[in-house]
Amino acid sequence: MLDRLPLYALRCSLPLAALLFFEAACRAGLFPPALLPAPSAIALATLRAITDLHTWQSLAITIGRLLGGFGIALVVGVTAGLLASQSRLGSAILQTFIRVFSPVPKIALYPALILLLGFDHAPKVLLVAADCLFPILIASYQGACRVEPKLLWSARAMGTGRLRLLFRVVLPAAAPQLMTGVKIAATVGCVVVFIAEMVASSNGIGHDLALAVRTLRTVEMFVPLVFISAIGLLLNATLSAVQRRLHA
Amino acid sequence: MTATRIAHLPGLMPLAVLAITLLLWQSGALMLRADFLPTVGLTWDALTTLGGESDTARMVYNSLRTMFAGFGLAFLVTVPLGLAMGRCDWLREMIQPTLTLFYPMPKAALMPIFMLWFGLGDTSKIVVIYLGASLPLLYHSYQGAASVDEKLLWQASAFGMSPLRRLFKVVLPMSLPDVFLGCRVAMSMALIVMVSSEMIVRQDGIGGLMFNALDLAQYDYVYAAIVIVALIGALLDIALEALRRRVVFWVPGDVLEGGR
Amino acid sequence: MIALENVSKVFRTRQGGLHKAIEAVTLDVAEGEFVSILGPSGCGKSTLLYIVGGFVGQSEGRVEVAGTPVTAPGPDRGPVFQEFALFPWKSVLQNVMYGMLEQGVKTAEAKSRAQAMLRKVHLEKYADFYPRELSGGMRQRVAIARTLVYEPRILLMDEPFGALDAHTRIALQNELLEIWERDRKTVLFVTHGVDEAVTLSDKVVVMSGTPGHVKAVVDIDLPRPRVREDLLRNPRYQEYIIELERMIDRGGQHDGH
Repeated sequence: MLDRLPLYALRCSLPLAALLFFEAACRAGLFPPALLPAPSAIALATLRAITDLHTWQSLAITIGRLLGGFGIALVVGVTAGLLASQSRLGSAILQTFIRVFSPVPKIALYPALILLLGFDHAPKVLLVAADCLFPILIASYQGACRVEPKLLWSARAMGTGRLRLLFRVVLPAAAPQLMTGVKIAATVGCVVVFIAEMVASSNGIGHDLALAVRTLRTVEMFVPLVFISAIGLLLNATLSAVQRRLHA
Repeated sequence: MTATRIAHLPGLMPLAVLAITLLLWQSGALMLRADFLPTVGLTWDALTTLGGESDTARMVYNSLRTMFAGFGLAFLVTVPLGLAMGRCDWLREMIQPTLTLFYPMPKAALMPIFMLWFGLGDTSKIVVIYLGASLPLLYHSYQGAASVDEKLLWQASAFGMSPLRRLFKVVLPMSLPDVFLGCRVAMSMALIVMVSSEMIVRQDGIGGLMFNALDLAQYDYVYAAIVIVALIGALLDIALEALRRRVVFWVPGDVLEGGR
Repeated sequence: MIALENVSKVFRTRQGGLHKAIEAVTLDVAEGEFVSILGPSGCGKSTLLYIVGGFVGQSEGRVEVAGTPVTAPGPDRGPVFQEFALFPWKSVLQNVMYGMLEQGVKTAEAKSRAQAMLRKVHLEKYADFYPRELSGGMRQRVAIARTLVYEPRILLMDEPFGALDAHTRIALQNELLEIWERDRKTVLFVTHGVDEAVTLSDKVVVMSGTPGHVKAVVDIDLPRPRVREDLLRNPRYQEYIIELERMIDRGGQHDGH
């Protein structure tokens, strides 16, 4: 552990240097606090926000939407990817679907979703689902395709039915690659839910940022960013841990 | 069996998917019979009206201009950096943690803050797009350079090539496929960030048009704008893929190969 | 031509520990000799080759080629790797020309020499093909052609036929012998195939164990040119194979693998 100290120091060097620079520069008056608050001020505001009930309400709403959309994408993406991998027609359809709709920015569908589903949770959840779907779909399909056919043949020879085969054999075998897609989807989901809340919402931490903009409270603009980054990093770390356990 | 063979006719499948999408849209519109889902016909009319207005062309041009500016800047800065990271361990160790920290942050969400700093002009948008495009470009360039087969480099040094020459004559071409993949992802990110930032700021651009039309209850224009964005995304992807196929000709096929 | 004295190599593993790949290797290769390094996987035989090639530095010992110490790779020691290591964006002809162009040979001359070499390996019709369009065996022939064409004094071959099927391997062994007979270069050939070693070489260096060390050096006294059919019918050929296999087997048991 100790001989890795120089490595850890190198890794922390850039963020640490940036923090120290900005802290010093802000204190020296280089940047007006109305434009760029010092990192310490942002940290303090974040702590203040943590003690505020409203923050937790916002977080609950945002995380709820995120998990809802992510969950839908997970179920649909994994199932569709697994099923498509097992037939040539399915593969052709899936590949076309991905090829046609991948280049379309799903965020562009947001106004349509608002029109069709109203202004509250539904359009955000569906937008998150749409954006999370593609990484999961691609990862599950590719992972399932790469499963050694001999593995499947042995299982079928032992009497496993086709559907059971998918979920009992193909899914676990495809899991490592699938997890990579899931991690990407989780990060995408965080970004999308936040932007959706900034653009058109009456609650959630994205909305809190938009509110801070309208009321010209600069420090409060940074706090929601800290929160969403933290959520993203936490999700990523959790999923990485799951991925490592799957590999073992 | 026959279904599969039909499915593999080139060009047929994408058209079929598009046709089905339009069909679902139209039937939905006719069934709901509400103004919040206009028919394909109404949307087409709005589209042509927009197409006729000179304002539209200017708006699309401005949007694309900032997008390419941000992307271009990101390419020039981060591709060499990523390649260097791939060949230089300590550089990678120094930069990568910062990237991991920055990855989950929504780049478009920085628009209001940047507008505080840079004012109402293009700068904020370009910076935000630059940030959005940087990460995939950096990551993929790094991957490309790091995964160059060592034996290829040994072979080159046995020929008598200097390290600098090896960098340009071996590492660079071998990294190109990954760099192009990075470009593809980064281009799509740039488009997403551009539309998102326009939605947030609602000054002008296609994103702004969408939400202004929404506020004014001109719903057919909303859908028309969505179609425009979808078209831009599709065209960019096709163009990039065509370019990739010419430059990196030795790597076959699409990213999505893996089916039976 | 090649002199190794008491060479050993220690690597740093990913976990931070140390791994001794080879130990106290002393070896001499005369000019024009075809020497095989034979051993199971993990005994460091490739490492030895890389050290002679200058791609990897030794931790201990003296490594000299033609009297000069080895410090870096160079055009006097031409490598042929198992993975072919061809440039995928260059055609077969361009790949074969590459080494010469790097050494300042004029394009026209490089081109004609490359074409002549492709004829020698029976690939002249594929000059404008790209590596991805060729089979494994063909790619390896291009790799061999590419190294031979700029006439290095020594050929360093690292299990070059390891990735090929048995049939192609035999065909390429014959082709290699055919080419080698013409100029009789010094060759250091790493393999784990006993029959391959006996078929091709003048001398077989048996390595085993971890860390790898030289177990024995066996002179192969069989007539040249080596013709497969005659070899297979030659009882001395069979004896060599039996002797070497026994050596490798015993070595395996000794070191408790």
